[in-house]
Amino acid sequence: MSTGAVDLVQLRKQFGEVTAVDGIDVSIEAGEFFSLLGPSGCGKTTTLRLIAGFERPDEGKILLDDVDMAATPPHRRKVNTVFQSYALFPHLDVFDNVAFGLRRARVKKAAVRTRVLNVLEAVRLGGYEKRKPGQLSGGQQQRVALARALVLEPKVLLLDEPLGALDAKLRKALQLELKGIQEGFGITFVYVTHDQEEALTMSDRIAVMSGGHVEQIASPEQMYEEPETVFVADFLGVSNLMKVSAEGAEGGACRTRLGDFALRAGCGEISRQGETHVVIRPERVVIEPYESSGENRVPGMIERVVYHGASDQLVVRLATGDLVQALFVRDGTSRDWVQGTAVQVHLPAEALRVLPPGPAGGDVPTPQDVALDTPAVEVPAS
Amino acid sequence: MKRVRDWFANPWGQPRALGTITWLYMAWSIVPVLIAILFSFNDGRSRSVWQGFSTRWYWGDPNLSVFHDPAARSALEQSLRLAGLDMLIAVPLGVGLAIGLTRWRGYGAKPVNYLMLFPLVTPEIVMGVSLLLVFVLLYSIPLGTEAQVLGQVTFSISYVVIIVRGRLLSIGPEYEEAARDLGASQFAAFRLVLVPLLAPAVFASFIVVFALSIDDFVVTDYLSAGSPTQTVPIAIYSNARGGTTTPALNALATVMVVVTLLAVGLAYFVYRWAARSQPGTSGRALNEIAALEV
Amino acid sequence: MTRRWFWPSFALPGAVWLVLLFLVPTYAVVAVAFGTVDPIFQNPVPAWNPLDWQFHTMRSVLAEFEPGHTFWTVSVRTLVYVAISLAGCLLIGYPVAYYLARHARRTKGILLVLLIVPFWVSYLMRMLAWIGLLLPDGLVNRSLIHLGVISQPVGWLDGRPTSVILALIYGYVPYLILPLYAVLDRIDRSVLEAGRDLGASPIRTFFHVTLPLSRNGILAASVLITLPMFGDYYTNDVISGSPHTSMIGNQINLYFQGGTQKTVGACLVIVLSVFLALLMSYYLWATVRASAATKESLL
Repeated sequence: MSTGAVDLVQLRKQFGEVTAVDGIDVSIEAGEFFSLLGPSGCGKTTTLRLIAGFERPDEGKILLDDVDMAATPPHRRKVNTVFQSYALFPHLDVFDNVAFGLRRARVKKAAVRTRVLNVLEAVRLGGYEKRKPGQLSGGQQQRVALARALVLEPKVLLLDEPLGALDAKLRKALQLELKGIQEGFGITFVYVTHDQEEALTMSDRIAVMSGGHVEQIASPEQMYEEPETVFVADFLGVSNLMKVSAEGAEGGACRTRLGDFALRAGCGEISRQGETHVVIRPERVVIEPYESSGENRVPGMIERVVYHGASDQLVVRLATGDLVQALFVRDGTSRDWVQGTAVQVHLPAEALRVLPPGPAGGDVPTPQDVALDTPAVEVPAS
Repeated sequence: MKRVRDWFANPWGQPRALGTITWLYMAWSIVPVLIAILFSFNDGRSRSVWQGFSTRWYWGDPNLSVFHDPAARSALEQSLRLAGLDMLIAVPLGVGLAIGLTRWRGYGAKPVNYLMLFPLVTPEIVMGVSLLLVFVLLYSIPLGTEAQVLGQVTFSISYVVIIVRGRLLSIGPEYEEAARDLGASQFAAFRLVLVPLLAPAVFASFIVVFALSIDDFVVTDYLSAGSPTQTVPIAIYSNARGGTTTPALNALATVMVVVTLLAVGLAYFVYRWAARSQPGTSGRALNEIAALEV
Repeated sequence: MTRRWFWPSFALPGAVWLVLLFLVPTYAVVAVAFGTVDPIFQNPVPAWNPLDWQFHTMRSVLAEFEPGHTFWTVSVRTLVYVAISLAGCLLIGYPVAYYLARHARRTKGILLVLLIVPFWVSYLMRMLAWIGLLLPDGLVNRSLIHLGVISQPVGWLDGRPTSVILALIYGYVPYLILPLYAVLDRIDRSVLEAGRDLGASPIRTFFHVTLPLSRNGILAASVLITLPMFGDYYTNDVISGSPHTSMIGNQINLYFQGGTQKTVGACLVIVLSVFLALLMSYYLWATVRASAATKESLL
C-alpha cells in the first residue's frame, strides 16, 4: 500500500504569544512507524493535533498523499487518533465504542458486527463487547481506544502518548503489541512521546523536537550514534558532552583541545573551528590503567561506581574537571572498580563526535545518570 | 460535674464541644419546622396549642381544609403551574447558555458571562421592582401568571448555567474531539456524546429550578395580579400573622415541603443512577447536590 | 475547523432573554427614578432618554438620608440588624461548618443531609414555624413560663427588634454554613497536621493556620447572605408587623405596593443598589488583599 504518506510543509501554529510549531518540514513515508519525540512544550502534541484537524495551522500545508488537508474538517480526514486519556465514551459499552465510527460512516449492520468483532480479536479483547469502559483496566481501555481507531482502516493513525498512564511493565508489553499491530496492518503510525526509550524501541524513524523546531529526523540507530545537535545528543541517553575548542580538520579528524589535552575527533563536523562540543557514548569510553598512554587519553579519577545489575556505570572526573560516564557490561571478566582510583580515560577518536555549538553558546548541561528503566517523569503539555 | 468536664476535654477524640454545638444547631434548625408540620395535624384551630391529632386541615374540614378551600387549592395549583412553566423555559435557555459560554472563544463571551452572573447577586426586591416597572411601563405585559413566569425564569437561568457549566468543564472537550475524529460532524458529536454525558446535570437543574420556583416569594408577589395568581409562599406571607388563621396554613405549607423534598430525593437517586458510569461523579453526589445550592 | 457561530448560537436565546428581562428592567428603574410623575394620575413617567433625566426626586430622597430624617433612621436600623445578624450567623455557623468539614467522619453524611434540608423548605414556611412558636400561647412562652424565666407571656411578635434579628439569623444561617463548609473542607488536612506537628496546640493551630486560610471563605459567605439580607422585607413583615422595626426593604416595598410614589421607590432602589455595589467592590478588594496576605503569612 502506498497510501498514508504525510507531508508537513513549513507548518506554523501560534497560540497568542507562544509559537508552538515554528515552520517545520517533515515527510512521513507510507506505512512507517514515525515518532515525534521531545520534552513537554516542544510542540509535538500540537503538530499531531494539526494533522488530526483539531487545530488550524497559521501557515504551511498538511498533505496526505499529496492532497492538502487544510480545508478538510477532522471528521472527514482519513486520519484517526488514539488519545492520551483514551476518551472512551463512558455511556457506551465496548462494542458501541468501537462501532461508533463505522456507524457514522453508515456501514451496514452486519458488516459493523463483523468488523468490530474482528478488530477486538486483533487487540486481544474478544469477549469484552458488553463491558463498559469504567469496568476495564488501563491497558484494556488503551486497546479499546486502539481498536476504535483501527476498525476504520485509516491511512494514518495518530497516537498521543498512549502508554503514558500505564505502569512500566505493561508499557513494555504494549509497546511490542503496538509495533506488531502497526506492521501487521501496514498503517502509518505517527507516535508522540517524551520517552526516548519508547521512541528508540518502536520507531522506524524519529523526529526530535524542541521549542517548536525539528532538531533532527533519523532512524533510531542514526539518531543515537550520530546526533547532529547538542540537544539531540543530550536528549537520547547519556552524551558525555564536553566543551572543546576545535581547530579544524587534519588527517580525517578534527583537532580539538579539551583544557590542556589534545583530542582527535573522527566523527561529525570535523572541519569545525572555534568553541563547540564533542560527545561520546558511555559504552565507547575505555577505562585504562593510569600508566597507559597514547592518543586521546586523559587522566582522571573514579568518583563513583554504580551497579546496575547487568552493567556497571562509572563516573570519572577528568583532570580537566569534566565528568565522564562509562558503561561496562558485566560479562564475567572480572573488573574491580574502586572509588578513588586514578585511571586513564581513553576516548577513541572514531567514537568521538564533533557537534555544532549548543544554543547557549557552549554551556555544558549537567550529565544525566544512565536511565535504564525509568524515563524522565514529565507532564506533557499540549 | 467532673465527668461531664472530662468528657468535653478529651484531647484525642472528636472535639466534643463542637460536636454538641453542631447537633444543637441541627435541632434548632429543623425542630421548629417539624413542630409546624406537627401542628398541621392539630385537631383544633390553634397553631400553638396541641389539641389532638386530626387530618381535618388536609381534607377533613369541608370549608377550610387544603383540599376543600378554593383559595388553598388555587395557591397550590398556581405554585405547581409556575414551577412547571419555569422548568420548561429556564432549563433549555440555561443549558444553551452554559454550553455556549463554555465553548465560545470570541469577544461576546465575557460580557454575556457577567450578564449571567448579575442576577445571582441582585437582591430579589430589586428584581421584583425592575420587572414590575418594565412590564407596566414598557412592555405592556399584564401582571399575572405570564408575568410571574417571565420573572421566575429570569432568575432561574443563572442557576442552571452554574450547574451545567460545572459539569461541562469536568467533561472537557476530549470526548467530542474523539467523536469528530471518528467521523461525527460537530452537531452529531454534540448529540451523541455531549448530550448523554450532560443529562444528569440537566436533570439536576430541572429539580433546582422547581425548588427555586416553589419557594419564591418576592418576584412572584410583585408580579401577581391578586388572589387567582397567589402562590403558596404568598398565601403564607399574607396569612401568617392572621388572627383567624388555622393550621390549614401549616397543612398547605407542609404539602409544599413534602412535594419539594420528594422531588429532591428523587433527583438525588436518579442523578446517582444516571451518573454511575460517568467519570468523577459517583460518591460525591451528595456533595454535588449540596454545592448546587450555592 | 469549527464554524465560528456554532457555539455562540447556543447561548443566544438565553442571552437575549437576560438582556430583555434583566438589563432592560434595570435601566427601567433608572429611567423611572430620574423621570417625572404624571400630575393627574400620579403615575411615574419614565425618562428613557438620558438627556431627559430629572434629578429632583433623587435629591429629595437623598435629603431624607440626612441624620434625623426618615431614611436615615431606617438605613441605620437596617445596617445594625444586618451587622448583628451576620455576627450571629458567623458565631453559630462557623463552628458547625468547621465541625462538619474537619471532624465529623461517620456522621458526615447525615449531617450534610440535615444541613441541606432547610434549603428545600420555603423561607416563609420556616418563618411560619417560628410564628407558631412565638405566639402568645406558643411553645416558647409556655416553656419559659414553665421554667420560671418569665411569669407572663411575652409578645414576641409585637414589633420586637430581637425577634426580627433572631428570625434573620435563623433564616439566613444555612446559606452561610454551606459555602463555609465547602471552603473549610478544601483546606488540606496535612497543613493543619503540620501545624500540630510543629508544636502548636489545637487552639493556636486554629487561630494561626485555619482561620487565616478560611478568611476568603468567611468573606464570600458573608457577602452571600448580606446582599439578600439588605433587601429583605418579608421577614420583618411576618415576624413583626410594626413600622418601628422596618428595614430599607420595607421602605421600598411601601412605595411600590402602596402605588402612588413609584418614582421615590425607584430612587431608593438605586441608592440601595449603589450601596450594595460598593459592598461588593470592597469584598473583591478585600479578597485580593486577603489572598496576598495569607500567602505572606504562610511563607
